[in-house]
Amino acid sequence: MSDAIGANFVTAQLDKLVNWARKSSLWPATFGLACCAIEMIATTMPRHDLGRFGMEAFRASPRQADLMIVAGRVSQKMAPVLRQIYDQMMEPKWVIAMGACASTAGVFNNYAVVQGVDQIVPVDVYVPGCPPRPEMLMDGIMLLHERIKRGEYDAKRVTA
Amino acid sequence: MLWFRAEEWAARADQLKADGWRAIDLCGVDRLGVADAGERFEVVVQLLHMGRKERACVHVAATGDPPTVPSTAKVWPAVNFMEREAYDLVGIHFDGHPNLSRILMPDAWEGHPLRKDYGVGKVPVEFVPQPFLQIDAPGQAATSEGAGRNVDRLGQPVAGEDAVSRPDGSMSPSGAIVPNGDES
Amino acid sequence: MSVDADRIVSGFESGGHGAFVESYDEGERMVINMGPVHPATHGVLRLKLELEGETVVRCEPIIGYLHTGMEKECEDQNWRGAVTIVTRMDYLAPFFNEHVYSLGVEELLGLEVPERGRYIRMLMAELNRLSSHLVWFGTQGLDMGAMSAVFYGFREREILLDFFEMVTGLRMNHGYIIPGGVWEDLPDEWEDAVERILDVIPGRLDEYEELLSLNPVFLERTRGVGVIERNEVVALGATGPIARASGVDWDMRRDAPYERYADLEFDVPVEDAGDVYARYLVRMAEMKQSVRLVRQITERMPKGEFKNLDPKVTPPDRSELGRSMEAVIHHFKLVTQGYAVPPGEAYAAVESPRGELGCYVVSNGGTSPYRVHMRDPSFVNLQSLPVMVEDGMIADLIASIASIDPVLGGVDR
Repeated sequence: MSDAIGANFVTAQLDKLVNWARKSSLWPATFGLACCAIEMIATTMPRHDLGRFGMEAFRASPRQADLMIVAGRVSQKMAPVLRQIYDQMMEPKWVIAMGACASTAGVFNNYAVVQGVDQIVPVDVYVPGCPPRPEMLMDGIMLLHERIKRGEYDAKRVTA
Repeated sequence: MLWFRAEEWAARADQLKADGWRAIDLCGVDRLGVADAGERFEVVVQLLHMGRKERACVHVAATGDPPTVPSTAKVWPAVNFMEREAYDLVGIHFDGHPNLSRILMPDAWEGHPLRKDYGVGKVPVEFVPQPFLQIDAPGQAATSEGAGRNVDRLGQPVAGEDAVSRPDGSMSPSGAIVPNGDES
Repeated sequence: MSVDADRIVSGFESGGHGAFVESYDEGERMVINMGPVHPATHGVLRLKLELEGETVVRCEPIIGYLHTGMEKECEDQNWRGAVTIVTRMDYLAPFFNEHVYSLGVEELLGLEVPERGRYIRMLMAELNRLSSHLVWFGTQGLDMGAMSAVFYGFREREILLDFFEMVTGLRMNHGYIIPGGVWEDLPDEWEDAVERILDVIPGRLDEYEELLSLNPVFLERTRGVGVIERNEVVALGATGPIARASGVDWDMRRDAPYERYADLEFDVPVEDAGDVYARYLVRMAEMKQSVRLVRQITERMPKGEFKNLDPKVTPPDRSELGRSMEAVIHHFKLVTQGYAVPPGEAYAAVESPRGELGCYVVSNGGTSPYRVHMRDPSFVNLQSLPVMVEDGMIADLIASIASIDPVLGGVDR
């Protein structure tokens, strides 16, 4: 009898389980801005299928999303909107800066573009490229999964 | 190419429209520094006549301070947004435009970015020197731990399967190709 | 075609499946903000809507959320480097941006492009038109609930992007068409790759027509929706498929040909209805014409140089740098300063998938552009949105935005 029970239970640490669940169903918020948005869409499309990570469900409402992939250049007019969407997301939340423009403004070092989205929101993973190939974005997402699995999502929110 | 003064532009635009010309593009140009006697600001309009398959280019000099040109948004509704963009970026006022407000820059922005006395707004890029990452060449033993391939993707040091403990108690980096089997 | 559609729609409606509007309190107007972050606005477009119930009374597009200062940034680059800035403007059709800028600069320089260069440019342009219309097809379906359209559209687009990557090294934002020709020659396997594309794509296009063109739900949602009349289109300056769907028979490739389009045979699809369905039909037909053009270009591709080898403009081949002092000097000047363009101005235009894409370049004799102004078709086409959606419902607004196919990178530059 005890053998039968033993085969039907799996023991694990609670936070490992929670982290695994969090990383396996990260839902991105739709924040495609420019060219990188097209590659982000291409990542969810049949050839590069992001659905294998459970992430093809891009939520339009930030309340239902836990990942914001900032895909594209952030202009000065868009910056407050970006911050507002970030603030509306529920904890725990992560940010991927996709592309050179989101990471450091890319080719556009001028008056109109915010020089890197980390001026506005804390970023967990930077994915370089102009635009990054879908495989590169998935690599960045998998890196984020690693961090979530290790429970490192509080690392960036250092109280200061 | 046609050159008009600001005062006659409204009448000329009506004539051109009646003749069948459509406005394709309108933009403002700041001619500061161009060796040319004339007004600093001008509006350049590209026209297309579909029937005759011809194109024309019209230059209208903007006069006054702020530089002003009569608006042709009622003649050619296509130039509505274009005139707003010329106002926003170059600072040319269009007399009679139904809604002359900023269109591309935030509403509270000061200055007109495409003017020649407005800088690009470059931010100096700082390159912070990173610690030198020692990558082992084949046949070379690593000099320190945590170099080259014994950190994982998140920067955490990893002791590989073939890591060997050294006499001083430290672990050798995994995968080091060691000539003559010195590390044993 | 329209007889079938009529019959299908009336059959659908008489079966009791037509749409109807519930009554609402007249005079109760709401001002609702849609965007800039919205799944169905094709980018960061913000719309200020005045609604009475579900009916859109007024719609005001508010743009600028993607303004990148490209025109100013171009003034900070040299003439060759501005290609990389300009290509990121209308990001679904990057070859067209580069092409039109290169045409403008070539006019100022008086630079001749060799035949092979011209044909390569046309090849990339027509394939780009296909890939752009495939994105339109996908998003048109997605916005109206036909989600499978986006999966099919992007699946085909991947085949085209593979070709672009083979030729230019990048899937998007290539920086390949430069003043003087194209940067590198087509690789040796290009003909086989194009053959494979031409084998696959026409069959798939027929499948898409089967999916949507006579679909009663699609017809209900697109016929009579977002109507814009011919005189409104001409007045508002809309060009491209929007104009052609309202009866304006103008296509720059036929009526003001550039490159060698005058030597090629193709039809220009024109419809009269001016609604979303007409724009759909025009773009589907344009995709087929692009396939036809690609076939002809592949057959006629000349041999020879692919860029103008004038050493004042094109860096010499690296193998010459070891042999010739002049080559070293030219290379040095071109890499450090770039070439100087004689003073003057030029306006060049091409037929991009969205309409007339123009570039107005001014030079004051220096090595950087003095003023580059891109006339983007979406910027002007967006002005026809309020006319299309007046007195329609919000769902029709979404369909109309998709049928305009705006690319906000071009709108805001």
